[in-house]
Amino acid sequence: MEHHPRPLRRLVIYALLALLMLFFIGPIIWFILLAIRPPGTAFTMPPVLFFEPTADAIRHTLVDPGANARQARNSLIVALGAVLLNLPFSVPAAYALSRYRMKSKKFIMLWYLGLLMAPPIAFLIPYFVLMTQIGLSGTYLSMILVLQTLIIPFSVWLMKSFIDEVPRELEEAARVDGAAWYVIMLRITLPLVRPGLIVTSMFAFVFAWNNAAFPLVLSSQQTATLPIGTLNYFASTGVTWSFIASAAVVAMVPPMLIFLVFDRYVVRGLTFGAVKG
Amino acid sequence: MAYLPYLLVAPSIILLLGLIAYPLVFALKNSFYFWNLQTSATPVGFVGFANYQMVLASPAFLNSLINTLVLTFSGTALEFAFGLAIALLLSTRLRGMSVARALLIMPTTIAPIVVGFLFRYMYDPQGGIITWLMASIGLDLPAQGILGSTNTALLAILIADVWQWTPFFAIILYAGLLSVPVSLLEAARLDGASAWVMFWRIKFPFVMRTALIILILRFMQLFNTFDLVLVLTRGGPGTSSRTLGYTLYQQGLIDFNIGMASATTWLVVIIVNAIVGLYIFFAFRKWEW
Repeated sequence: MEHHPRPLRRLVIYALLALLMLFFIGPIIWFILLAIRPPGTAFTMPPVLFFEPTADAIRHTLVDPGANARQARNSLIVALGAVLLNLPFSVPAAYALSRYRMKSKKFIMLWYLGLLMAPPIAFLIPYFVLMTQIGLSGTYLSMILVLQTLIIPFSVWLMKSFIDEVPRELEEAARVDGAAWYVIMLRITLPLVRPGLIVTSMFAFVFAWNNAAFPLVLSSQQTATLPIGTLNYFASTGVTWSFIASAAVVAMVPPMLIFLVFDRYVVRGLTFGAVKG
Repeated sequence: MAYLPYLLVAPSIILLLGLIAYPLVFALKNSFYFWNLQTSATPVGFVGFANYQMVLASPAFLNSLINTLVLTFSGTALEFAFGLAIALLLSTRLRGMSVARALLIMPTTIAPIVVGFLFRYMYDPQGGIITWLMASIGLDLPAQGILGSTNTALLAILIADVWQWTPFFAIILYAGLLSVPVSLLEAARLDGASAWVMFWRIKFPFVMRTALIILILRFMQLFNTFDLVLVLTRGGPGTSSRTLGYTLYQQGLIDFNIGMASATTWLVVIIVNAIVGLYIFFAFRKWEW
């Protein structure tokens, strides 16, 4: 949208950009390096930039003894479960909010949005007591269930923005032919928003994967997720930073990959569809 | 068929209502009881408003409220300002900008707990790279370390949050800037408008619509922050970096004082609703649905 800048200005812009990258990406790389450093080089002044990389910590995390392998699997189960459970609730709601006139549409949309702003910590103790009482404490289901308070509102908003883009004319033709609403939704609209469905599920997955608050009180030793795994290292005496870092890297990789692959939709995902990007 | 859309929305609303009504009712009821989970599995005695009085009278609550407001307002403002500046930088059409943008968002993708560890490593008083950098340029660092001093602990949390969320503002505002119609800018240029005027009169109003929604989202997330605090400082030293979110964590999950935690919960719920309600009322009045 701007005219192309002159060489000197261009140089300044690239220099600024390099600084930005150093500031925002540098710490991530620095932390990833921690996972492959020989232990003696982790805390030194001045910092050691070049070293012989070692896979010891990563092996410890994933393979032998696989200290965090189970937690990685648990994170996957909880995040996938949360996304799958959410679909039958959020997709019809998003469809209705996109396609029909509703007097309280604005109120309902804002109500969902309000849920995304609720303080999770305020809900932890009640959920802990509730899940203990109904015998679900420590189960995957308990986490999958309470994650819906975040995943459903998020998905409704994002899905609605995708359904909004499907021309109504396509549905009108079927409606004239006498097709029922659910036939239209399942056979015509949903296949057309399949990319939207995938994008929504992917970002919802990241949302669930990164959540630490709910597993903090609802998971057990057996069902602990990766963020809890990193916290556990910290609780024990004699923190082994290379283990923390390699567990954290395992936690970091899936969201990063999803954001890189779905780069086109990142703005949309982060704003719940409010900004098309 | 007028009720059909409501029927489609109903399952999600019912599930969500069930999931949030329980904690709210639970907290409301128990805020009037004395109940320490360590000594009793059930509430012990009705105490009226005593829990509320205790919370409101405790310096820790007041401190954490002030800390939370400082963190929330300064964090949101800084992230928005830096984000907007970066968005303007990205919107100069140069080669490599789309790659830069795709990489820039990486901090935002990381779980806040992990961000906490990342910064804890860098702040380490013995060999953290931030400590080293600041010492190298001759800054006077507290002897107890950046996270160990009452003067710098909250600031350290703020910096970690600004690091994680500035890219969030940057790429969203960048998308907003891209949607400014070229014809509008061309017309302004022909009229001889300066870059400054074009920014404030055309681009800024255009991105404000986008900004409205992400500002409140970020504001509330920051208001509720507790994972970052948990990993970085545990609210310390003293209560110098304690946020409302961490106070709730402390009361409920460390002290197991359910009565007090419940009272705090409701105080937070009231504060949050007041802020969000006011904001939504004013900011979203002209929003189209």
